[in-house]
Amino acid sequence: MKYIHYINELIKKTIDKSNYLVIFGQNIAAGSCLSGLTRGLKTNTQCMVINSPNVENTQLGVGFGLMLNGVSSIFFMKQQDFLLLGADHLVNTYNFVRQVNPNVSFTVFMIVVDKGYEGMQSSLNNCADFCSIARIPGYTINNKHDAERIIGEHLVSPGFRLIGVSQRLFPTEILTCDIDGIIKHDEGTIQYCRGKDITIVCFNFSFPQGLGLRNKLRERGLESSLFTVNYVTSPKWKSIIDDAKVTKNIIILDDSRSENLPCYYLLSQILSEYEIKNKIVIKRDFSEKWYHPDAQEFVVNYDAIIDKLMAGRILKRYSVGVNQRDKPNE
Amino acid sequence: MLKNINMHNDLTIAKDLLRIRLSQMIINEKLKNNEFKIPIHLAFGHEAIAVAVSVIMGSQDQLVLSHRNVHYNLARSSSFKAEVDEYLLKKEGLGGGRLGSMNLANREGGIIYTSSILGNNLCVSAGLALAKKVKKENGLVIVVTGDGAIEEGAFYESLEFLKTYNLSSLIIVENNGWSLATQIHERRCNICLDSLTRAFDIPFRVLDGNDPYKYIDILKDIYSIAIKKQTPVIIEVRLKTLGGWRLKSEEFPEGKFINYHAGPAPTIKLSEWPMISEDRSDPVFVLSDHIRLEKLKEISRDVLNKLVQELK
Repeated sequence: MKYIHYINELIKKTIDKSNYLVIFGQNIAAGSCLSGLTRGLKTNTQCMVINSPNVENTQLGVGFGLMLNGVSSIFFMKQQDFLLLGADHLVNTYNFVRQVNPNVSFTVFMIVVDKGYEGMQSSLNNCADFCSIARIPGYTINNKHDAERIIGEHLVSPGFRLIGVSQRLFPTEILTCDIDGIIKHDEGTIQYCRGKDITIVCFNFSFPQGLGLRNKLRERGLESSLFTVNYVTSPKWKSIIDDAKVTKNIIILDDSRSENLPCYYLLSQILSEYEIKNKIVIKRDFSEKWYHPDAQEFVVNYDAIIDKLMAGRILKRYSVGVNQRDKPNE
Repeated sequence: MLKNINMHNDLTIAKDLLRIRLSQMIINEKLKNNEFKIPIHLAFGHEAIAVAVSVIMGSQDQLVLSHRNVHYNLARSSSFKAEVDEYLLKKEGLGGGRLGSMNLANREGGIIYTSSILGNNLCVSAGLALAKKVKKENGLVIVVTGDGAIEEGAFYESLEFLKTYNLSSLIIVENNGWSLATQIHERRCNICLDSLTRAFDIPFRVLDGNDPYKYIDILKDIYSIAIKKQTPVIIEVRLKTLGGWRLKSEEFPEGKFINYHAGPAPTIKLSEWPMISEDRSDPVFVLSDHIRLEKLKEISRDVLNKLVQELK
């Protein structure tokens, strides 16, 4: 099943169980239904589906207004960057509402524009930047397992949060990752497999690349622990820190285009506690291409990484540019 | 702290208005003495609409305010001390000392949300009104904004949303002609609210003259229209924020007019008879259309004594 279809099914199941829920957003029940994300939403009589006008700022305020009057809602957003139009509510209104702490839910479920060739609007492709401005709980969905957990636990639950899905992953098969049957959760991180040699940590929507790297390393006889950091606000990463303490080798992948990468907080915390033999951060290096339509692929050169690890070299640089490239425009 | 709105008659309306004026004058004296750490936007001259809105509000109506909200908060709370304590950020304050002035709300008094950001509260009021519709609750949402906030995109968006979903609501635009230090003609083109509301097919009324008794009658009619027709209604209230002064300098030897925006109003002094301007720009002056001056002064003395006692 495709990533988008799987998420759509999970959304429908969760909504089906909810009462007094207002579901709103532009074209959520018309046309392609946000490329299939909101297709087939059916609600019971106590719920309402609204194809709203193009008023993003107001829609964010509406979600908080509904909260203040005890009604849960989901705002499905076609592009994450539309959130910029309502940033005032993310900070000022949310700061008021969180003091009242109503026992209802408001979720902004948004599509992160990262599939490429979208131009300027896709230079902002990570949830963490939005979450950071007001310490908003935020979650990213990469695979079957985290989709079930995040949608099941957070789509409709007391409080406000942002949930991001990757447009790049929409047409891909949803990844199943119960690799060793040991899926383990910390507060905000998920561990998919355990290995004695290397710790791999995936931020934002880089899980497919992390899984690919884990498989390649295994072919070369190296066993990895594989983690995702799905909670973008104040995740608890003790399990990652403990794991890297054993492996002494950490590879971090982050496909965000932000200047403020949360992965560096993890790395600094690890390095403040113990020494690491190999530390590699695979991230996007800034390019003027970000401001123009470009492929926006996150291509990892697995062989280069493995060669370096196998050679036993201690890498001193945090960023290994050769491991990643943004494909040039065709 | 919700006032008993059924007890209003001619004298209580005057008493309420004088209480709001005198309360602000006491706060103003405290502002002059630097007793508050937070910014406070007084609303001298805005009292008539606050009293009228409070009188027409039923128990299921909800009020949504902006940064200049002291007059409505005073109208909707029987405790002056709770308001002052909030400004002092005490836990006994109206908002538990956590909201301060610019975000001061009072759910018990029907004030559900207050925003310090221009236009922000209109969007939230649309959500409150939608929730009422979903839950099939009675009453409507009354949101207070100003001539500065109608310049924001949020104003246009919120009208569109409220009208699209037939959400009963009153949008009170307090038009004092100023946004901080600039008058309307200095900062923007004219916005014809009448034409704008007609474009949305939203009813529109103007309130002018600072007469709380007339305002109450008109607002009651408008309220009925909003409920019956399930529509937002815009009410432009033309008023003057009192407390401006002239600042003399080399450049302006005759004095440059400084519009009162926030903090202390230096030229306003607490007195038993709290009239600031002897004309119809002052709602206290307008009260004498309905009640003898001597009676008003007697009420005012009594109100002031009680307020002073309350703070002791």
